[in-house]
Amino acid sequence: MTEKHMKLNSVEEILDYAIKKEEEAARFYADLADRVEQKAMGDVFRDFSKEEQEHKRKLLTVKSGSAAMLSMDRVLDLKIGDYLVDITLSPHLDYKQALIIAMKAEKAAFRLYHNLAATTDDENLRALLLMLAQEEARHKLRFEIEYEDYYLREN
Amino acid sequence: MFRVIANQMIVPNVHLITLRAPAVAREAKPGQFVILRAEEEGERIPLSLSDWDAASGTVTVVFLNIGSTTSRLASLQAGVDIPTVVGPLGNATDIEKYGTVMCICGCYGIGSIYRIAKALKEVGNRVITIMEARSSYLFYWEERLSSVCDEVIQITRDGTRGYRGHVHKLPDILKDLDEPVDRIIVNGCTFLLKRVADVTRSSGIKTMVSLNPIMIDGTGMCGVCRVTVGSTTRFACVHGPDFDAHEVDWEELLQRRKTYMAEEVVPLRTSRCEERHFQMQEQSRE
Amino acid sequence: MSEVVKKKKYDLDRRDMPKQPPEVRRFNFDEVALGYTPELAVEEAKRCIQCKRPTCIGNCPVEINIPGFLNRVADGDFAGGIRILKEKNCLPAICGRVCPQEEQCEKTCIFRKKGGQIAIGRVERFLADWEAQQGELEMPELPRKTGYKVAIVGGGPSGLTVAGDLIKMGHEVTVFEALHKMGGVLVYGIPEFRLPKVIVNREVEYLQMLGVELVTDFVVGRTRTIDSLLDEYDAVFVGSGAGLPWFMDIPGENLNGVYSANEYLTRLNLMKGFLFPKYHTPVKRHRKVAVVGGGNVAMDCARSALRLGAESRIVYRRSREELPARLEEIENAEEEGVIFDFLTLPLRYIGDENGWVKAMECQKMELGEPDASGRRRPVPIEGSETIYEVDAVVCAIGNSPNPLIGATTPGLIIGKKGNIEANEETGATSREKIWAGGDVVTGAATVILAMGAGRIAARSIHEYLTSNGSA
Repeated sequence: MTEKHMKLNSVEEILDYAIKKEEEAARFYADLADRVEQKAMGDVFRDFSKEEQEHKRKLLTVKSGSAAMLSMDRVLDLKIGDYLVDITLSPHLDYKQALIIAMKAEKAAFRLYHNLAATTDDENLRALLLMLAQEEARHKLRFEIEYEDYYLREN
Repeated sequence: MFRVIANQMIVPNVHLITLRAPAVAREAKPGQFVILRAEEEGERIPLSLSDWDAASGTVTVVFLNIGSTTSRLASLQAGVDIPTVVGPLGNATDIEKYGTVMCICGCYGIGSIYRIAKALKEVGNRVITIMEARSSYLFYWEERLSSVCDEVIQITRDGTRGYRGHVHKLPDILKDLDEPVDRIIVNGCTFLLKRVADVTRSSGIKTMVSLNPIMIDGTGMCGVCRVTVGSTTRFACVHGPDFDAHEVDWEELLQRRKTYMAEEVVPLRTSRCEERHFQMQEQSRE
Repeated sequence: MSEVVKKKKYDLDRRDMPKQPPEVRRFNFDEVALGYTPELAVEEAKRCIQCKRPTCIGNCPVEINIPGFLNRVADGDFAGGIRILKEKNCLPAICGRVCPQEEQCEKTCIFRKKGGQIAIGRVERFLADWEAQQGELEMPELPRKTGYKVAIVGGGPSGLTVAGDLIKMGHEVTVFEALHKMGGVLVYGIPEFRLPKVIVNREVEYLQMLGVELVTDFVVGRTRTIDSLLDEYDAVFVGSGAGLPWFMDIPGENLNGVYSANEYLTRLNLMKGFLFPKYHTPVKRHRKVAVVGGGNVAMDCARSALRLGAESRIVYRRSREELPARLEEIENAEEEGVIFDFLTLPLRYIGDENGWVKAMECQKMELGEPDASGRRRPVPIEGSETIYEVDAVVCAIGNSPNPLIGATTPGLIIGKKGNIEANEETGATSREKIWAGGDVVTGAATVILAMGAGRIAARSIHEYLTSNGSA
């Protein structure tokens, strides 16, 4: 079943889907951590993996009702990753590339939730999907800010 | 300063120069290169190491007389000093027991493949060397290579020795050899490297090539030697010079190598007498 | 009618630096700033009121006794001035030219508010140049040799400072430099018109006279590893800088005519390509050059391109106020005719059929809403794409430390940004007997900070050697 045809008919199904996506992301970074040749880069991807697990934990608390719903506020989009070439995954990745990979991954997740939101008529579900999109936008911003503060200091 | 110990033209336009560079000789490994300056105003150019001797502190480089620096190098007598010999640079060629290794070489690559073939043989590989040239009079070090390889096969454009043609003959050679080849290593000009890559792509044999893009510092500082390998930008001077032939963006490499073709001719065209004349004019003005 | 002459209590008139006029200097690579005359230097030094509690010294990364040397100059005692200066700074001719004094010593000068801060850097430069002109270099008395040997990796500002300090403490010192000239960024990065190489050579020769052994064409990590050096030396200082260039990671970056700032500047400065074909390293005469970036390096590239006859523009993502370059260099660039495109971001480079860059597509930016820290960040304006015709682009957005030392020195801890991890107070690394400082630790920064780090490390190395010594 492809993403496009997936039916997410309830708040619970949507949150489960989002949680699964965070798990996938955590695994993706953990795998990269084992592939890279520089020790410091292994630590970087392990940290990214932990961040995804934090996102997952947050969603779990939302699902269990023990945390407030997510915010709908539009998050600042610096659009840095939009214009950068895709980074080919290899053992040689450096930190600059890691940030680009992360911001693009979060952007892809943002787009996914946005597209899903467009497929549903249900107000509540749409609102939830848009909130999830903004969560991803927040994650993306964190990487964009770090990239801008260090790698775009002279630009 | 680095003393020229010996210098000779071994086949038309191909020179063999031995230089005293003890630090380089002590550390050199097969597949590495040095950056040379033949004179104070000269360019820095990369040349692969062909041989070295730690005991005497000397390194030997084979080069083609093809530009202002190499033409200057070609003219040097033993006893003269040159200002820069820095190295050994780049990563050494991976030497492991692969099984049967085919070393393909042409022009200056015949020189630089020698120590690679020798090292491969020493760890137990069966080493087959393929030498390619326009004509048989351009071959050199045939005995040297034969002494460290199991077999030497030759290809000449004009058919004066060995197979007639160029490396597109490789599939025929492989068929005639009738044994599996586990690895191919290629040293030589970019066209040779690319052609081997094209011909072996479908064979599934891991093919490593020693790339020679334009370089200045050779230590990873300027990025002029950047090449795209497997969709990733690599610096040939620090990540290479060896790369997987089937992942290299050859069109880009060939395009980048042409950057200074127009300018490269200018110092060649300016005669030294002209230079000296203008120098003296400047001095008399001061 | 008598004129009432107001007697000014303080002289707040900062003496201007004589410069080549812009319309002349944009065609040559000669030094732009011509230096104070002795009269100007004395006038400027006399303005200093010798505060009881001077704030300038604390802001100097190498703690020069600033009021001290200013006082000597005010008295016309230049020899005394240079002596005080050299107690703390062995590269004064360089610092006087490239230090961002406005961020350091001059920043807290008591006259700052009225724009009359003492031009400390200009006087420093004057003293160093005066001494060189005298021809007589005063040699300090060197102590007895300690018998210890220290290897220094990198002949740049931090390495040279460590060398100068350690030789004066009696140790044997060898500096290993990968390139064929000592100086690091001082020779390959900073152009002739900002820092004449004859000055760098002079400072380097001074070190040689003190007894420092200088070895060029030696790449530590390849020619010999640090561990191999430790068989012969009692300590190693790594000052290998930040020379690995960053690219924009946008399409078209490998087209012919797209340079890293390092390549562009190295061809011109180290290889003297501006004298091509007398010097054989080719340098293209481009018509329209775009330099991406806003720091001192970008200014250097843009001003160099101008001098080579190109229409030269700086393309910077933010606004003029946020340019990280020294104001002095920005103003010099503007006066010389460099075009500035602010709030502009390159999206991709467009090539012709031969693989040469022929144009650059850019987007306009605007400052977005303030983030959590209140800072406004630039965001692209949709639909504002513009094509600029260029035949060369220089990417001057920054550098990382070169990974070679980290890759060839087991046990040396390297951070995620490629920097060697070193103790801020001592320069000590995770490996015993190995210290590090300068850009290789901090990422690309200034010459003077590298020197300050060198000073700290030299002190720590000296303490280590004289208390522990070699095993």
